[in-house]
Amino acid sequence: MKKIAPAIALVIASFVAIYVGSAQIDNFWSALFSPGSNEILWQIRIPRVIAALIVGASLALAGLMAQGACSNALAEPSILGTTAGASLGTVIAVLTGIVQVGSVGAIACGALGALAATSLTFKLANLRSQLSSFALIIVGIAVSASITAIVGLVSSMVTRADARSISFWNFGSLALITRDNLVGISITALVGGFIAWKISPSLDRLSLGDATAFHIGIDVPRVRLIALVALSLLVGGAVSTVGSIAFIGLAAPHIARFIYGPIHRNLIVHTAIIGALLVVVADTLSRSVAQPNELPIGLITSLLGAPVLIALVTVKNNVWKTQ
Amino acid sequence: MITINEITIVVDGREIIYDYSEQIPAGSITAIVGPNGSGKSTLLAAIAGDIAPTKGTITIDGLHPILTAPAQLAQIRAVAIQNQIYTLGYTVKQIIEMAGPAEEVMRSLELTPLADRPVTTLSGGEAQRVSIAAAIAQKTPVLFLDEPLAAQDVRSRKRIIEVLKKLAEEGVSVVVVAHSSESELTWADKVIKQLL
Repeated sequence: MKKIAPAIALVIASFVAIYVGSAQIDNFWSALFSPGSNEILWQIRIPRVIAALIVGASLALAGLMAQGACSNALAEPSILGTTAGASLGTVIAVLTGIVQVGSVGAIACGALGALAATSLTFKLANLRSQLSSFALIIVGIAVSASITAIVGLVSSMVTRADARSISFWNFGSLALITRDNLVGISITALVGGFIAWKISPSLDRLSLGDATAFHIGIDVPRVRLIALVALSLLVGGAVSTVGSIAFIGLAAPHIARFIYGPIHRNLIVHTAIIGALLVVVADTLSRSVAQPNELPIGLITSLLGAPVLIALVTVKNNVWKTQ
Repeated sequence: MITINEITIVVDGREIIYDYSEQIPAGSITAIVGPNGSGKSTLLAAIAGDIAPTKGTITIDGLHPILTAPAQLAQIRAVAIQNQIYTLGYTVKQIIEMAGPAEEVMRSLELTPLADRPVTTLSGGEAQRVSIAAAIAQKTPVLFLDEPLAAQDVRSRKRIIEVLKKLAEEGVSVVVVAHSSESELTWADKVIKQLL
């Protein structure tokens, strides 16, 4: 029962998310099973909930890739500079008029920005000696802070409506999601998820350390590069469409490991489910607790994810042993 | 057969190994001994393909480790490093299965009772035996072990030596790096002492 609880919770949370909102849906169940019958339901709420599911799953898988590729419990897209890179890539592309937020073009620019920033973190952390967890985290925080500052400066200086606000890039929002946006993030989630699934046995071996992974036949730089491409696609898709949503990439993989163990292939589906659950619940709360105002979703994900993570680490700490 | 031909290894400007040659035959146990900093682990890393010699060549059955793809290299040599650190809570069996079939080697190294224990909860000696078991499970013609007996009690030492002897009888070249004095290595067919 414990093992299927997140999946059951996700189904229930999704229905609640579709039901809850500022406008009451008349004849909810009949409208739900008659596509197109109710405009609010079919044009706004359902696309928004589907986006929350995809974004949550994407960010959670991105965290799993980051932790697996770096063999580091603290690695996650925000800490490696990936999220900030995706924001910057998208902001630059939107401001130069090449693309619109949420388009496939914006997602491509977000993914390129994510890949460039993450590569920069790895390059700088690797500059003077072998890649160490400590150097990676410190350099990642610095790269992330610098790029986030640039995103803030650039988005403060322009007034274009589709450039979005600093708040959007820092805390995320699903308020502006349309059905058209779902195509792009579905593609990045599927491609990123497929790559993650393919390399998951190699990530198990990578967790033994670079030397031992190499000794048992893993091409360490190649696996790490593939993981970073998957990470960048997943984050690029999510961030360029809904902005930065904190904590999912860190919390979801850890919660999944505590429940299901460390084997990466098992974790792919479970991490995605837990990430989707966290974002769907957070989004529902963000638009319902202070109506008619909408709270930044990133604040809610932090409030939801942090206590769960602290409780799990406190209760059972033999899943990830720090060096 | 491992052939080391006039190798020199310089690390951070310091000459660790100078103009060294050696041949290690198949089906034997060779121990590389020496004090700290004598270059024994560096030699092992070079033969295993982890680092390239500054000068000279190393071949394992005619293949240059440093020029061989990781997947192919893993079919000719296995390595158990000293102080393997396990950060994620895989079970003992899952760790060994990442390298090869686990059942037989777990039995021979008396790890079967620990099969379902997370490796993060093991003692230093137990974790070292898991690392040795994983290297053996790779079933390669060459096996490198860095200080395999360092954290073991008397019973486990005896067991590991028995397993290594059996592997050598089956034709495996076993190369062991050890801190021990030569008198403690009577179970080795050859002891290499002088690297510089």
